Amino acid sequence: MKKFVAAALCVCLTASAAFAAGDAITTRKTIMDSVAAAAGLGGGMMKGEIAYTPAAGKAAIMSMAAASHSFGAFFPEGSEAGDTTAAPAIWSDAAGFEAALAKFAAASDAAVQASGKDGPADVDAFKAAFGPIMANCKSCHETFRVKK
Amino acid sequence: MLKKILGLGVVLAIAGAGTGWVLSASTPLPAEVLSSLPEGDAARGEAMFWAGGCTSCHSAPGAEGEDKLKLGGGLKLVSPFGTFVAPNISSDAQDGIGGWSAASFANAMMTGTGPHGENLYPAFPFTSYSRMDIQDVTDLFAFMKTLPAVAGKAPDHELGFPFNIRRGLGLWKLVNMSSGPVVKEPAAGADVDMDVWNRGRYLVEGPGHCGECHTPRNPIGGLDYSAWLSGADAPTGEGKIPGLDPASELGSWSVPDIAYYLESGFTPEYDSVGGEMVEVQANMAKLPASDREAIAVYLKALPAAAK
Repeated sequence: MKKFVAAALCVCLTASAAFAAGDAITTRKTIMDSVAAAAGLGGGMMKGEIAYTPAAGKAAIMSMAAASHSFGAFFPEGSEAGDTTAAPAIWSDAAGFEAALAKFAAASDAAVQASGKDGPADVDAFKAAFGPIMANCKSCHETFRVKK
Repeated sequence: MLKKILGLGVVLAIAGAGTGWVLSASTPLPAEVLSSLPEGDAARGEAMFWAGGCTSCHSAPGAEGEDKLKLGGGLKLVSPFGTFVAPNISSDAQDGIGGWSAASFANAMMTGTGPHGENLYPAFPFTSYSRMDIQDVTDLFAFMKTLPAVAGKAPDHELGFPFNIRRGLGLWKLVNMSSGPVVKEPAAGADVDMDVWNRGRYLVEGPGHCGECHTPRNPIGGLDYSAWLSGADAPTGEGKIPGLDPASELGSWSVPDIAYYLESGFTPEYDSVGGEMVEVQANMAKLPASDREAIAVYLKALPAAAK
């Protein structure tokens, strides 16, 4: 009986670990989708395809800022397997990944500072704040994402 | 009778070995081409430098800004045949190619032949550069001579037998080299300006060497031209390199979408460029806008791969 309980416990623990990893993948993907949506809004305004408003500029910047501070918490050990494009380097070079996240957060925080209460006043002010955030996409994806 | 057969066998073996020896020799450019090379123009050569992506393998890994012009080599390319180390191609006369003649450079680029007649390994994409105009090659050489000299040779390749025998590459080249265009004409029904399409074809199939990663390879490492640009396993073993043909994701992008991606690194959905393509895109961003558009026009008009 004891053996059975232990075995059952093991199964439950394994299952919940797997569930947590799946959850982490879903969560971080959703965060990254919001980054892509913010980049789409910001990029569209920078290109002139979407009319610029300070409120929209601030929304794009704040989405980036929220993501930059939360994203890194959803890469637990074991979540490298599954429906994910996370590169093994996230775990093998954890310090490098931390540094990339810190750079993303620093650029976002600077943009939040620059945008004030109402958001950057015009599209040029927005470009100056948002451009450095966007530069993080490539530099991080170069090492820490693998397309499958 | 048996003696006769044995004798014939020996003769055939010697003839076969002799033929193999001849066929495996390097094949440099014809003497008349080498003796009348056009004068190189460094200013024009800069565009070829970015189109060719030289810096992505030959500068120090992770180099940024001016350091991308220091071509001391050292990047390791891991392949199923062993590890290739990108050599020093800076203007240093001892350790780089500063002491090379234009003829040596043209031979390396267009035939994969080193300055002493040795075969070069196709990790260096001469299989694509062979399609370049000779003028572009001498322009590129003139530009590279203006770049900083970097002292120090890069380490040797780490290859096991038989891949460490350079002579054998002569046979490989016989099978896998082609200097003519890959795609003969735009896809049926594609409405393209032929001058623009031709320019795009030249950039993609020649200096840009896009096919070297985006086309699958046969078991001996040659490109499978029947599946041109249809995507491949990443040579590093992690993930896939996407196809660029109409059946791939790129099929749903417009010409301006592709040109914007090459300029900015962002897809139409504002996903960003990643992996090795980050370096490539940074190079492409330095080309004239008309060249990025030409590449896009060519890719959009690719005939469906036969795969």
